[in-house]
Amino acid sequence: MLRCAPVKRFRRLFIANRGEVAARIARTCDSLGITPVFGVSEADRQAPYVRDRESVILGPARAAESYLARERIVQAAVQTQCSALHPGWGFLAEDPLFASLCESHGVAFIGPSAAVMQKLGRKTPAKAAMFRAGLKLIPGSEGVLRDVDQAREVADSIGFPVLLKAESGGGGRGMRVIGCAADLKEAYDSAQAESLACFADARLYLEKLIEGGRHIEIQLLADKYGHVVHLGERDCSVQRKHQKLIEESPALVLSDAERARTLAAAVRAARAIGYVGAGTMEFLLDKDGHLRFIEMNARLQVEHPVTEMRTGIDLVEAQIRIAAGEPLWFSQRDIDPRGHAIECRINAEDPTNGFSPSPGVIRRWEVPALLDDQVRVDTHVESGYEVPPHYDSLVCKVIAWGEDRDVACDRLTAALEGIGCEGISTTIPMHLAVLGSKEFRSNRYDTRAVPGWEG
Amino acid sequence: MAHVPVVPIGETRDAIVDDATYKREIAGHEPFVSRLDERRAEVHAGWGKKYVKRVHEKGKLTARERLERLKDQGTDIFEVGTFVNYGIDFNGLRSPAAGVITAFVHIEGRWCVVIANDNTVASGAWWPKTPEKIERAQEMARRLRLPTLYLVDCSGLFLPEQSKSFAGAKGAGHIFKMNSLLSAEGVPQIAGVFGDCIAGGGYMPIISDRVYMTEQAYMVIAGAALIKGAKSQHITSLDIGGPEVHVHQSGCADERVPDDDTLIDCLRREVARLPSSGAAFYRGGFEPMEPNYPPAELPGLLPVDHRQAYDALQILARLCDQSLFWEVLPSVGREMICGVARVGGLYAGFVLNRQGLVEDPEASDEQRPAGILYRQGIAKISAFSRACNSDGIPLIWLQDISGFDIGAEAERHGLLAYGSNLIYTNSTNVTPMFTVLLRKASGAGYYAMAGLPYDPVVQLSTPISRLSVMEGRTLAIASYNSKLDDNFEIVTADPKERAHIEKRMAEVEARIEADMDPYVAARQMDTDEIVRLDELRRWLEVLVEMSYQGTGHRRVKNPRIWAMHDLDVLITGGPA
Repeated sequence: MLRCAPVKRFRRLFIANRGEVAARIARTCDSLGITPVFGVSEADRQAPYVRDRESVILGPARAAESYLARERIVQAAVQTQCSALHPGWGFLAEDPLFASLCESHGVAFIGPSAAVMQKLGRKTPAKAAMFRAGLKLIPGSEGVLRDVDQAREVADSIGFPVLLKAESGGGGRGMRVIGCAADLKEAYDSAQAESLACFADARLYLEKLIEGGRHIEIQLLADKYGHVVHLGERDCSVQRKHQKLIEESPALVLSDAERARTLAAAVRAARAIGYVGAGTMEFLLDKDGHLRFIEMNARLQVEHPVTEMRTGIDLVEAQIRIAAGEPLWFSQRDIDPRGHAIECRINAEDPTNGFSPSPGVIRRWEVPALLDDQVRVDTHVESGYEVPPHYDSLVCKVIAWGEDRDVACDRLTAALEGIGCEGISTTIPMHLAVLGSKEFRSNRYDTRAVPGWEG
Repeated sequence: MAHVPVVPIGETRDAIVDDATYKREIAGHEPFVSRLDERRAEVHAGWGKKYVKRVHEKGKLTARERLERLKDQGTDIFEVGTFVNYGIDFNGLRSPAAGVITAFVHIEGRWCVVIANDNTVASGAWWPKTPEKIERAQEMARRLRLPTLYLVDCSGLFLPEQSKSFAGAKGAGHIFKMNSLLSAEGVPQIAGVFGDCIAGGGYMPIISDRVYMTEQAYMVIAGAALIKGAKSQHITSLDIGGPEVHVHQSGCADERVPDDDTLIDCLRREVARLPSSGAAFYRGGFEPMEPNYPPAELPGLLPVDHRQAYDALQILARLCDQSLFWEVLPSVGREMICGVARVGGLYAGFVLNRQGLVEDPEASDEQRPAGILYRQGIAKISAFSRACNSDGIPLIWLQDISGFDIGAEAERHGLLAYGSNLIYTNSTNVTPMFTVLLRKASGAGYYAMAGLPYDPVVQLSTPISRLSVMEGRTLAIASYNSKLDDNFEIVTADPKERAHIEKRMAEVEARIEADMDPYVAARQMDTDEIVRLDELRRWLEVLVEMSYQGTGHRRVKNPRIWAMHDLDVLITGGPA
């Protein structure tokens, strides 16, 4: 039902990313009979996943001169006669300028249109569109604030603490946490000045500061013809400093009614904004059990295998086929997520030492042989691989499926225990601690602290 | 080669100028900007509150209120001719905006030209230059095939000044000729008659395809005041030419409606019946995208001082979608920049002057000032202009130009002929051209870069535009040439004579300086509108979108078959 014969779409596909996601995309290319061409930095030219493959050196290790160098990447894609480009995640995956540049030069960008990406990048218009489609928002100002008086009015009505944010902002710049009314004026002025200096846009908006809660997200797929489906939700609440560590599906903390209502609204919202491709809407689950929209990520997520394990749908394949103009070949009725899936992100970090980076050569890398279709390991590393210090430290993702959550946890634990890794520190010990902890097993924790792990 | 190989241009503001310089430049623009804001407000007020009240007492809306209600919610009105007659005294009276509002208004998803008599200024009478202003708006509508709406509320020619606006080639009667031409060329015209409509005002609506009248409206060749016996018969102008007569007896109007609001609803309904805009089709799946760098930064990057250089590409980066631009013929005639970008998702050609120094192709290792037209640059923009015309790409000229190169070499190169070739090209182009006088628009440079005498559809000035044949200093030197040495220093040793020459030269300079004021140009219709630099991007979006609104009346080639690609291949060998 969910599979159909691989059809030759793009003959050659440029992978404008590195590491685990580059290897992941190549795997689907192989299954579809598409030749992947890797754009790599000098630091990655010897990486295992490009061995015996076509690759182009984009530039030095520094991402600004390689994985972020828009014009070089497009030029490389054109010169290697690729008709499509997959941006992976991070780097230029959500860059509207890069998407336009690809399209202008005849390379299909695998993702939504530049205009949709730009709209999602702007804070208040995206929220307004989501609200119209029936999604709940975090209480706050309707659109941008007129002045400090309006900010005070809104803050008084929703209650302190509040968060002041820059309309064109990002990376925390132009953002202020305000605990009480007395601090509002000063924070408003300084946020406005910072926002104007950083983004040439002084506009601010205001939201209630909600601490803790659970991070829930919804996976969506949309084709170019207005067909949109959801592939269920994921719970990504095990986080350290806003970095996700463990993701799972379904989110058992969510009520059936709230799940059904939000999934339907998310589909409507994606259709309303003209979304195309794979995308994820992120929500905060508040104390009252309501999902409140935060933002939409216009790309493949790191944690997408969790959804793949439950639905049997290859999300990268779906992305490629949608980009090639194929209508969705299944409807919502055909999607039947089964059981429970959990993913652990294994990073080259030392969890016992404040998660300090641990780059270097992996002397030994061994994955247990007992893996079957219930456990999946996504990685680009092997024995002898050197984790370069220039990029993020993800070395591997282990995903387990089970009939229920406990079975999935047990299988994941067994798989993690079987991984042999020498030469670098990894976060495996932390994951084992979390998976074995009472807080995690009983599903009682929030995003502020890692359950079952101190430090 | 179907692709339009745009590449990112521009840099973030802090990479171009430091904070202090940026702030200083912004501050330098501030007096110009606030003067524009103040003067706009002054014009918009018409003859003031007393007259607004008088209009309201009659149960009518003012012309500006009518426009506000006519436009689509959330859209802006783009007015042209705001400063026509600005500051001119007619026997103690002023005529703000020459008593008529002409504007591009977005109605039911279509850009329209709206011509509305300002009923707060002498009951919408026609002043000297009012007919020319109306005709100019009609010409814009004709060139872009935009639906044209007349909101008529006009007491006729302002008779004390009749001799200035009646008899000439562009006298009031020419409005009706323009009505006729628009009709003959298939441009839809819709008239709403809101009140007085006497003599010329009476003729203006009749040629329109649809004519609506309110119950307060009348159209007459002559009003009751001139009809013999009208007083004793107690008949009014409304009796002579009201809706009772014109809708039912004469057939000069189609529909009668009770009041202003209903009439405006009816006008919107009429526009909704017209073909929708072709813009979405011509965008070819692309959507309008903001520039990557904010247009609000423009004033800080374009120094007020016309002698100061800047990076013209940074200006362009703040005008085109996502700051993506394809520079055509980049390696030759470096003093000029030309190329193609999307503006509001639609393709437009740009020609602008590089500033500062560029390499001199006549003498390697040497540089010469840009902002001047040399042989290669002229040839390049001629070829580019012809290609845009051939391809049907709207062409935007951004002028900051001191003029043609002069001297023995320039004449030997035949700049007169190359310049004339460019003039010929621009004069015979049919693709819509728009001209912006960013800063300097001097001498034949103003002509060569499609200044108003070369019929751009719209020409915009900025608050810092300097439009002139030559700078005041240059004219002072030319006038006192016989008294100056090779370095243009005064020769005489006599202190009295020297002081006299200095004084007269300063006077010449001051007079020219005053005449370069954009409000002088706007007042006498040498430019269509003065816009703030930070409004320029929005204006260009609207002008380009209007160029693609109508389908079937002009050539619009798809990018696959652009002549532009030929130029590129001939010069660069084409993309690999």
